[in-house]
Amino acid sequence: MSLLQEERKIILNNEYVESFDFAEVEDFVKNANKELFISHHYAKRTKILVQPRGGFPTYKKQFALNEFFVKANVDVLPLTIDSNTRLNDYGTAAKMLRLSEENDVDMLNGYPLVNHGYRATRKMVTHFNKPVSLRHGTPDARLLIEQAIASGIFDIEGGPVTYVLPYSKNFPLDKAFLYWKYVERLCASYSRLNEPINRESFGPLTATLVPPSITIVIQLLEMLLSLEEGVKSFSVSFAQQGSMMQDIVTGHVLKKLAQYYAEKINCADARINLVYHQWMGAFPTNQKYAEQLISLATVVASIVGADKIITKTNQEAAGIPTKEANAETVANTQYLLRILNGLPNIHDEQEEEMLILQVKAIMEAVFNDHADTLWRKVFNSIKNGTIDVPFSPHIINHNDMITIRDAQKNIRIIKRGNVPIPDKCFDYEKSQCDLSKDTTSIVNDIIHDIGIMQ
Amino acid sequence: MNNKKLLIDVGSTYFKLCANGNLEQHFRNFNKSILDDLNHKCKHTIEQFTPESIFICSSANGGLSTLIIGLTHSFSLKYATNIALNSGINIIDTILYQDIEESSIPSDLIDVVIIVGGIDSKSNVFNKPLYEYLSQVSYSNIVYVGNSQDANQVKSNINNITILPNIIDDRLHIIEEELRNYLTNLYQQDIEGKDDIKDLYQITKNQIYSTPYIVNRTLPLIDAKFSVVNPFILLDIGGATTDIHYSKDLVDSNLVTENEFDRLVFKKLGVYKSRESLVFVAKNNEFVGELLMHLNVTENIFDEYNDKATRILMQLAIFLVLCKTSHYRPNYINIKLLTVNSVVLTGGITKVLKQEEAEDIISFFYKKILNSAHRPITVMDKDYAIWTLGSGIEHDDHNQMQHEGEA
Amino acid sequence: MKVVTGVVGNDIHVVANRLIDLSLKARGYEVFNLGVNTYLEEFFDACVETGADILLISSLNGEAEGWSREIRSLKSKYKDLDNLIMMIGGNLAVGTGDPKTIVPKYEKYGFDLVCHQIDLNTGLDMLQDFVAKRDKT
Repeated sequence: MSLLQEERKIILNNEYVESFDFAEVEDFVKNANKELFISHHYAKRTKILVQPRGGFPTYKKQFALNEFFVKANVDVLPLTIDSNTRLNDYGTAAKMLRLSEENDVDMLNGYPLVNHGYRATRKMVTHFNKPVSLRHGTPDARLLIEQAIASGIFDIEGGPVTYVLPYSKNFPLDKAFLYWKYVERLCASYSRLNEPINRESFGPLTATLVPPSITIVIQLLEMLLSLEEGVKSFSVSFAQQGSMMQDIVTGHVLKKLAQYYAEKINCADARINLVYHQWMGAFPTNQKYAEQLISLATVVASIVGADKIITKTNQEAAGIPTKEANAETVANTQYLLRILNGLPNIHDEQEEEMLILQVKAIMEAVFNDHADTLWRKVFNSIKNGTIDVPFSPHIINHNDMITIRDAQKNIRIIKRGNVPIPDKCFDYEKSQCDLSKDTTSIVNDIIHDIGIMQ
Repeated sequence: MNNKKLLIDVGSTYFKLCANGNLEQHFRNFNKSILDDLNHKCKHTIEQFTPESIFICSSANGGLSTLIIGLTHSFSLKYATNIALNSGINIIDTILYQDIEESSIPSDLIDVVIIVGGIDSKSNVFNKPLYEYLSQVSYSNIVYVGNSQDANQVKSNINNITILPNIIDDRLHIIEEELRNYLTNLYQQDIEGKDDIKDLYQITKNQIYSTPYIVNRTLPLIDAKFSVVNPFILLDIGGATTDIHYSKDLVDSNLVTENEFDRLVFKKLGVYKSRESLVFVAKNNEFVGELLMHLNVTENIFDEYNDKATRILMQLAIFLVLCKTSHYRPNYINIKLLTVNSVVLTGGITKVLKQEEAEDIISFFYKKILNSAHRPITVMDKDYAIWTLGSGIEHDDHNQMQHEGEA
Repeated sequence: MKVVTGVVGNDIHVVANRLIDLSLKARGYEVFNLGVNTYLEEFFDACVETGADILLISSLNGEAEGWSREIRSLKSKYKDLDNLIMMIGGNLAVGTGDPKTIVPKYEKYGFDLVCHQIDLNTGLDMLQDFVAKRDKT
C-alpha cells in the first residue's frame, strides 16, 4: 500500500465520516458522466463559462439553489463550504446543521460537506449533471477534498498560499504546504481514471490593492506545486482590479507565463485555464450601481479572454444573497456574454513588458532560494518578504509593500519592501503616481483607492 | 546513508545502539562512568566504527537545566523558552525581570542562565537588580540574548558571559538560530556534573546533541518508518521525564519558526526517577479514581513496586500528559487534541506496554475528558527507533552548508 | 515616539489595522503592529519590550465591552507602564451607541483617548494634540 493510501485511510477514519468505500468511489469517478468534469468543458467550450457563488447549510436549500441556477442557464454550479468546516471543526458544523434543519434558519454560512457526506451530496450532483466547483478557504483540506471528489465535484479551488495568507493570522504555512500536496496528489491520482480533475488557485488573495506581479507570482507558484504532482488541468485566476487596461495586461501576462513555466518543468501537456473574478472589494450599496459594476466586470472578462467568470450579485453589500438574486446575475451575465461580439484584441506592450520583468525577477529569486523543494522555497520567500501580500493578516507576511492607484486607477507599487522588483520597473511604477503629495494625503488616497467602487 | 554509522543514544535509564540498522539496548550501570559502561557492554560493536562515523545523542543526567530571565511572558520568556525546549533543554525556570528582587534563588546548580529582553532600540533594561540576583546563583554558563544597547554594560558586569544577537527582532518576531546553536552546542562547554558526557568525545569526532533535540528534528521524516498522519503528537515517556512533541498547527501560536514541531517537557512525569512526583500528580487528578477503576486496580497500586505497577504508572503518565495539554486545564500550551490524527509513543514505555493498552487509555481520555468520539491512531515505536532517523541529519546539513560555502 | 497598535479579540479587520499602521508611520511614529486577534496581555507586553509611549487599540465590532473591564487590573501588574498613553478607537458599541456615555465609560476603564466612530485622521490629530499638551506639562 502506498504512503498516500495509508494516509488516506487514516484521514478518512474520522468520526464524522460515514464509511468510505475506496473501490466504489474509484469506480464512480471512472464511469462518471463527462458533463461533471469542468476540465471537459474547458476543453470544448465555445463561450466563457459562468459560475456564481453560493452555499446553504441544508441539503434542501442547496438543492433549491442549484435548481434556480440551472434554470438560469448556469455553466458551473458552485458549492461554498461553511467556515466551521474550513477550520476542520466538524463537531460545530454538525450541531449547526442540525439546528438549521430543525428550525429552518441558516446557522451556517455554507454547505457542511463532510457532515452531509459524499453519498447524499453525490445524489444532488449527479441529479443536475453539471460540473460543480468547490469554494472554500481551508488550510487543511484533505478530508474535505476526499469527500468532494467522491461526491462528483471535480473542480477544486484553493492552495497553500491563497487559502492561508488572506484569511489566517497564524496557521503554520509549512503545514499548509504539506496538506495541499496531499490534495494535489489525490487529484492527480483520480485524474488517471477519466477526464482530469481541475485545480484552481484563488487569485484574488486579499482583494485589496494587490499588485499584478504579486498575484501572478503566487498563481504561477501554486500552479507549479500542483503540476509537479501530476495534475493535468489547472486554472490560474485573478480578480477585477479596477482598471480595464491593467486587467487586460494581467490576463495576457498570466496566460503567457503560465505556459512558459509549465513548459519549464516539462508539464506542457497540462491544460491551463484562466478564471476571472468579478470585483471582490467593497460593493456599492445601491443595487442598481451594483448591477452596473457586475456588467462592467463581464465586459472586461470577455476582453481579457477568460475561460470562466465567477460572478457576484447586486446584494453583495448586504450580505449573503438570496437564490433569486444569485440566479438573476447568472441570467444577466449570460445575456451580456451573448451580445458581446467583435471584441477587440488590445495590448499594451510597455505595460506587459514591465510586468513580465517584475514577475520573472521575483520568480527567479524564489527559485534561487537554497531550499531543496519548491514548496520550501516558496515558504522561505514569503518568510523573508520576497513575496509580500498587501493586507494579509498572517504574521509571516512582511506587510512592507505599499500600493496605491494612479490616475487611471492602475494599482502601482510605491514601496517594494524586500520584493525584488527591478529598479527599472520600480521607477516606472512610481513615475505613474503623483508622489508629490504629503504622506498623510497618500494614506487618504489609499483609503479611497480601496473603496473605489463604492 | 545509515549503513556505515553507529548511532548511540544515552538515556537516563538505558543506552541504545543502532549499528547498520540493528538496535540493541542495555540497562545502565550507574556505578560506572558512561564511557566505561559503554565500553564494557558494547566494545565489540564500537570497535567496528571510526570516531568519524559514530554519532551520539544523550538525555542523561536529566538533560540540561536553564534559568531564563526576561521582560515579558508574551515575548522574551516565550521565545527563549521555545528555543530552549526545542534544543532539548529539560528544566526551565523563568523569572520576570520586574519581579527579580522578590524571586527566590535556585538551590541547584544551573547549567545555563539566559538573559533576554527588549528590542534593540530599547535601552537601560537591565541593571543592578540583575547583577545582585545573579551573584547569588550558581551556574555553569551564562548567555545574553537581549537588546543590543545593554550588551556592553551587561558584559562588563558579568564574568564569562556570552553575548549573542537579540532573539527578538524589530518586528517583535523570534530569531532562533544563534541561541539554538549555542544551546545545542552546550555539551561541548565546561559543564560541571556533565563530565561523563564530555568523555564520550573520546570515541566520537561528531558533535554530541541532546536526544530530545534530535527527536524533534527527526519528526518531519517520520513517515519513512511509520504510518503517521499529520497533525500528530509524539509522547516520549521516560524514566525521568515525559516529552511531548506536537505539530505546530495543533496550537494557536504567533511564532514563525523553522520547526514544524515544538516540544514540551514534563519533568514530574517519569516512571522511574520521577515516580514519586508522577504519583503525586496522579493523586491530584480528579479523574484518576475512575481511570484506576477502568484499569481494574485500586489506589494501592501506587504503593506497589512490581511490573504491574509500572504498567499502570505508564498508562497514567499517558493520561496525565494528555490532561495537562488539553483545554481541561488552561496551561502553557493547549493542544487541539480533537484535530490530532496520530499519537506516536516512544521511549521505555514501548517495551512494556502493549499497543492495546495504550489505545485503551487514549480512548478513555477522549471519552471522559473531551467527551468525544474522536480516536487518533496509536503508533508504537517499539524499538525506540525514532531517534535513529535524526542522528546524522545535523551532520549532513552541516556538511552540505560547508560545501555551499566553498562553492 | 513609539506606538504599539493592533486589533483586539476576534476581529479580522486587517484593512483598518493596516491603515492605522500606515497613518501613524506617515505622521512620523515608530509603529509596532501586532495585527488582528491580539490579546490584552500581548499589547501590554509589547509596550514593555519596545519601550512604547503609546498604545492604540482598535476594536471594530462592539466587542470592546467584554475585555475593557480587565484593563486596570491587568495594567497594575506592570511596574513600568504608568506613563503609557492609552488610546482606543473604532466602533466601541454594538449598534450606533451614544458618544456621550461611551467616552466617559472607556475613560474610566483607563483610556486617555476614546474615539468612537471618529474618522481616522481626526483621531490621530487628537492623539498628537494630547501628546503635545502632555509634553508641555
